[in-house]
Amino acid sequence: MEISLFSAAAQGFLNLLEFQILLAMLLGVSIGTFTAVAPQGLGMPLVYAIALPIVIKWKPITGIALLIGASSVSAICAAYLPILFGIPGGSGSQATVLDGYPMGKKGEGRRALGASFMAGGMGCLIGTFTLAAAIPAARPLIYLMGSPELFVVMLWGLSMVAVLAGRRPVKGLIAAAFGLLLATVGQQAQSGVMRFVFDIPYLLDGISISIIALAMFGIPSALDLALTKLGVEQQPVPLKGSLFDGAKDALREWWLVVRCSFVGVWVGIVPGLGSQVVDWLAYGHAAQTCKGGRQTFGQGDVRGVIAPESANDAKDGGDLVTTLLLGFPQGVVTALFIVALLAWGYLPGPEMVKKNPEIIYSIVWLQGISGIIGTLIGFGLAAQLAKLAEVRYSFMVPIMFIFILMGAFSVNRDPADLIVVVAFGLLGYFMRRYGYPRPAMILGLVLGDLMEKYLYRSVASYGFTWLSRPAVIGLLIISTASFLLTLRGRMKANARAKAEAAPASFTGAMARSEDES
Amino acid sequence: MKIDELRPWLTVSASLYTLIVIFATPVYSQTPFYQGKTITIIHGRAPGGSGDLRVRAVIPFLQKYIPGNPSFVHEYMDGGGGRKAANFVFSQARADGLNVGNVGGGVVANAILGEQGVQYDLDKMPFIGSPYSATHYMFVTRRDVGLRNLEKLRGYSGLRIGAQSVGHTNYTLGRIFAAVLGLKDTKYVTGYSIPERDVALMRGEIDAITNSDDFYARNPEWVQKELVDFHIVMEIPKGEKHPLFSKLPEVDTFAKNERTRKLLSMFRLFRLSGSPFILPPATPKDRAEIIKEGLRKAFKDPDFVKEYKKVVGEDPTPLLPDENERAIRDLPRDPETVELFKKFAGAGPLPTL
Repeated sequence: MEISLFSAAAQGFLNLLEFQILLAMLLGVSIGTFTAVAPQGLGMPLVYAIALPIVIKWKPITGIALLIGASSVSAICAAYLPILFGIPGGSGSQATVLDGYPMGKKGEGRRALGASFMAGGMGCLIGTFTLAAAIPAARPLIYLMGSPELFVVMLWGLSMVAVLAGRRPVKGLIAAAFGLLLATVGQQAQSGVMRFVFDIPYLLDGISISIIALAMFGIPSALDLALTKLGVEQQPVPLKGSLFDGAKDALREWWLVVRCSFVGVWVGIVPGLGSQVVDWLAYGHAAQTCKGGRQTFGQGDVRGVIAPESANDAKDGGDLVTTLLLGFPQGVVTALFIVALLAWGYLPGPEMVKKNPEIIYSIVWLQGISGIIGTLIGFGLAAQLAKLAEVRYSFMVPIMFIFILMGAFSVNRDPADLIVVVAFGLLGYFMRRYGYPRPAMILGLVLGDLMEKYLYRSVASYGFTWLSRPAVIGLLIISTASFLLTLRGRMKANARAKAEAAPASFTGAMARSEDES
Repeated sequence: MKIDELRPWLTVSASLYTLIVIFATPVYSQTPFYQGKTITIIHGRAPGGSGDLRVRAVIPFLQKYIPGNPSFVHEYMDGGGGRKAANFVFSQARADGLNVGNVGGGVVANAILGEQGVQYDLDKMPFIGSPYSATHYMFVTRRDVGLRNLEKLRGYSGLRIGAQSVGHTNYTLGRIFAAVLGLKDTKYVTGYSIPERDVALMRGEIDAITNSDDFYARNPEWVQKELVDFHIVMEIPKGEKHPLFSKLPEVDTFAKNERTRKLLSMFRLFRLSGSPFILPPATPKDRAEIIKEGLRKAFKDPDFVKEYKKVVGEDPTPLLPDENERAIRDLPRDPETVELFKKFAGAGPLPTL
């Protein structure tokens, strides 16, 4: 007999009221926290891969509690490395570095962490509520977004280069073009042609974006610290204010949190976007829409932390919408989660919505409760971990290099990644030194592959008639308007700067970030 | 006591000591080599995925059946569809019996087809078994397209067939199906992951796909709600009927010549290797044999079947070490079939059969 959704939601909560289940959730939360704070690379896929053979022998809800506890909290606690060390966290927290690290340097590390935890917790809850609300009606949305629509969305994303390049549009375009070029390395899926591989097996699948991002942001920070002795050693983070200032910031910017959370939820729901773009999309949206954002983003604006963190944490809810309600995964972690559900005898998708809605609601509850616990743990541990920023540079630099190299090696356990991380680290250092915006390059790298794929599929399936699809036209209008508004704002700011005979005040997020060194 | 009186005792003592030395040596030499050792499994894939789970389901039983019960650690060397890991196992991994690779079946096809990045020799690399090998591939169209039977399918022009990438198993077989059935003016749309492709089929972005029978666990409503039409099946190995698709015609029945049959045979043998375990070529024979024997016993253990089904979500269809070696040995390698296969796996126009 089918039960009502209300009864299922109640039963889903009652399912959790066992000591063993709460213990499993707390264990998962601890694993997730450790994984988030540990060097990049020890990610959730590996945790899930190791945990799966163990937890599928447990009672279903107990196993689900551990897995969901781990994955939901890992995003919330992912802001430590970007804010305290200037190193991008796992994918989804990379944009946080742009404003989080400058805040840390200005002595607002605690405030940034507080904003991150609060925004992350709120994002997680918004993602969870969306999942709960989507249970009856998610399917049609997913079938509306085909390759043509996704291509336009990617194009829209690429237009963010205009913002990220700041006052150096030519350098921004060069950096973005370099990113697009890097995205072509490896075997092209559409033709099977090897591009820039030179018969080197390492290059067959292209170069890992996470390695490049780690190198481009991690190594320059460490090198700066070592070569200039600036940064945490010379300017110890005063740790003024408190975590609660950041929490208040997030509450004050509640509308930004809501908007960016829905960006995250949407990225989670739409197949193929993934966590690598969520923070950048949210950051770009915030930089474009926040009052004065174009002047302050990249200089340590707390909104530059709130936006990516809320989106990143809300994305998990969106991921679960497709995973649980449609039965297909959005990444390795959700793929493994589906494997676990199958082992317990649940078939994710419409059948599970019909037959086991109480289990879906248990997952919803676990996601929400773990998010709250993760936020509290973040606040509890932040004070201890923030002290890391006071450590002398002579101690910090080697640790940063160890973290970076360990992170790079742990992605694929391939020694060649160490060479790549050093090479791209040096490139990042010189890009930063000569004012080439690194985020524009990363954006080109991330979106290049997706854009090529979606454009190819659109043309192969529909010829050029895809341009006449109503959703494509609608999205094109929105993205063009967004791009033109950005350009207009930029021209006005330039004119104002000239009139005031002051240094150009309009700069994009990345230009600020580049200038800070 | 005189020395002569001691002589018998000395003789007995010396004899006993000699016996102890003689028999003690074999006792020490019988200490299993793998006792207290750690075997590294080098995966040609990222952690997670079904390939990883298949291997992880085998490991507890391999540990049980290798004398000395060694420990296992997993290393992941993703890249080039397993080529990176296969290259490493072939030429760089220490051949001491403590390094074992596990790669996807594409490693076999890439070597035969002479693909870029292959630095291993298929004939020198020991292939020592796979936890799965049997499967079925179907040619599926969306019901909305209106191709309810083979006659309509063959009469239709411009069918859009979706797949992961050029050279992928589903892409290559889709083209083989199209050529064998004589479909008109087919188009190939690639660049999908499996879930994306399934959604694209239902959304109308593509009209047809080729898929192995695991789709049924993913999309049971396709069958229950009759959202798709099934047209043709390829059984691997040949003759193994899937209960759900036993009424579908086997692709071989449409083969008009020996050339086509060789092509189909090559595809089957490529796919039959499943996810094989491999060893560095210089691995000592006795240690290689211990691992092979461990795999043989593991695959035959009834508990393995239960555990595998629980972990992976499907029944195991193991390929024993000797069968795996034979499958590699028997691969057709005549240049004409290889060239033909490469044309089907490539992006060029569809060859005629």
